[in-house]
Amino acid sequence: MNSIEVTLISGRTARQGMGLEEGKFSERYTQSVTAVSLNPEDASSLGLVKGRLVKVSTEHGCVTVNWGGDGGLGRGMAFFPYGPWANQLYSSSTDGTGMPQFKGIRATVSAADGGKVPTIQEIVDSMRGGKTR
Amino acid sequence: MRYEDVVCPFCGCLCDDLEVSVEDGHITEVKNACGISRSKFMNHGANRLEHPMVDGKKASLDSAVKEAVDLLSKAERPLVYGLSSTECGAIGKAVEIAETMGGIIDNTSSVCHGPTILALQQVGESKASLGEIRNRADLVIFWGSNPTEAHLRHITRYSGMPKGMYVPEGRKGRKIIVVDVRETGSGKLADRFIKVRPGSDFELLQALRACVRGRELPAEEVAGVPMAEVKELADQMKEARFGIVFFGLGLTQSEGRHMNIDAAVGLVAELNRHTKFVLTPMRGHYNVAGANTVTTWQTGYPYAVDFSRGYPRYNPGEFTSVDLLSRGEVDATLVVASDPASNFPVDAATNLAKMPVVTLEQKTTPTTMMSKVAIPVATAGVEAEGTAYRMDGVPLRLKKLVEPPKGVHPDEEVLDMILKGLKEAKR
Repeated sequence: MNSIEVTLISGRTARQGMGLEEGKFSERYTQSVTAVSLNPEDASSLGLVKGRLVKVSTEHGCVTVNWGGDGGLGRGMAFFPYGPWANQLYSSSTDGTGMPQFKGIRATVSAADGGKVPTIQEIVDSMRGGKTR
Repeated sequence: MRYEDVVCPFCGCLCDDLEVSVEDGHITEVKNACGISRSKFMNHGANRLEHPMVDGKKASLDSAVKEAVDLLSKAERPLVYGLSSTECGAIGKAVEIAETMGGIIDNTSSVCHGPTILALQQVGESKASLGEIRNRADLVIFWGSNPTEAHLRHITRYSGMPKGMYVPEGRKGRKIIVVDVRETGSGKLADRFIKVRPGSDFELLQALRACVRGRELPAEEVAGVPMAEVKELADQMKEARFGIVFFGLGLTQSEGRHMNIDAAVGLVAELNRHTKFVLTPMRGHYNVAGANTVTTWQTGYPYAVDFSRGYPRYNPGEFTSVDLLSRGEVDATLVVASDPASNFPVDAATNLAKMPVVTLEQKTTPTTMMSKVAIPVATAGVEAEGTAYRMDGVPLRLKKLVEPPKGVHPDEEVLDMILKGLKEAKR
């Protein structure tokens, strides 16, 4: 499977802000934080077309999400809005500062070979060790 | 009923010019609000946590508080976390709870502007109120921050567009510069956009400082920016009458963290040899500045405070929540007005799920779902009054506009019930 190395940046978006005020389980919130943006040429090199999912991996974790536009990015960069999906990829190490590195980490992006975007319930269940309440 | 001069409880701008119409106890219209603010006011009743919950089952408030007191009083290393989206009275109670338990209190600044605080404690800051900036700033720099997505009215209300006493032309009288790793919406409306190589802000800030000091650097480019442009930018900064650097998480959450802020303060200090220059962190949650302020006036420290020895000790990197959770050091957590299960890296969030958690929250969140006790609370600034601190440190009074759902109390009242129970349990 074709893949590219990127520098991953996470951050706020207005849609995420509006969505979280509806609720973390609202459709609007989920849509706003489950889309990774890529430079158009990078997206094209991966053969991405509208509706195709992407798999984002770091040395710490991986997650399957939607592909969501260009985000004003240069080549070799990806933008992932803050949220439970993006947080599957980051290390808890803070280098003694209290702050994890949420911006500027190395990641690999490829077109997802099947699979689906996990629901927020599935993410919570996996953090609870598979237990559903 | 129409309320004027309503303060928005969403971001650190605390816009205080909203007009909210209330009919039959419901908000029907919000004027002057940004999209996120409108969403907050119009959706405050949506997806609410309807009842106190214990072990996922509906419970009375009294029994939920009793359970919370029971599990917190049994904990050996309890953590109190959150606090940036509630009012100052609740934050004060949370500090008292941490002290009573001999636990740790931390707020969300540990994962937003904690590095800013670390740097400013070392090197100080040159600051101004948003009112001064609105009236005086002719050069506005956003560095690693994107107000068009995160602080939607900042540019129109405080920094870019308004006509000020000494900037009578408004937008035409100001230059806006955006420095970021990608061309954001803010970058598109700037007079100058400077693209910095990811992880290289420190180098660019230091190179600018050297140029402002008149040093020649033997380099063709710094952090992906041609040397000629670095020099031009340094000259533009020196020539400003009143300059401001608004900086965001692009500096605090990337490589270098607090050292980036240290470099930004150094640049601003250097510029003050030539002109008036200030800097202000773009605080995210509406009262995260209040969480730092209240915790400081009660303990001497702004976040990451441990009471286990009976007196407050401060050590970011050790007593900060992500570190405590990832080390598995904490054995119970009280979460107030925050959703760490969504906002922390997966390892820290997974460890949170392994311990008893008590959460005070308006809506159902991943954190309430993994909590042993979840207690619904009123939304400060909509259903409860209180005080919040704007990003520049100015306190403003939040209004109560509508009643909370029946049986639902403000954070401060529920925390007071827990505090009384904990004091009783200690006797």
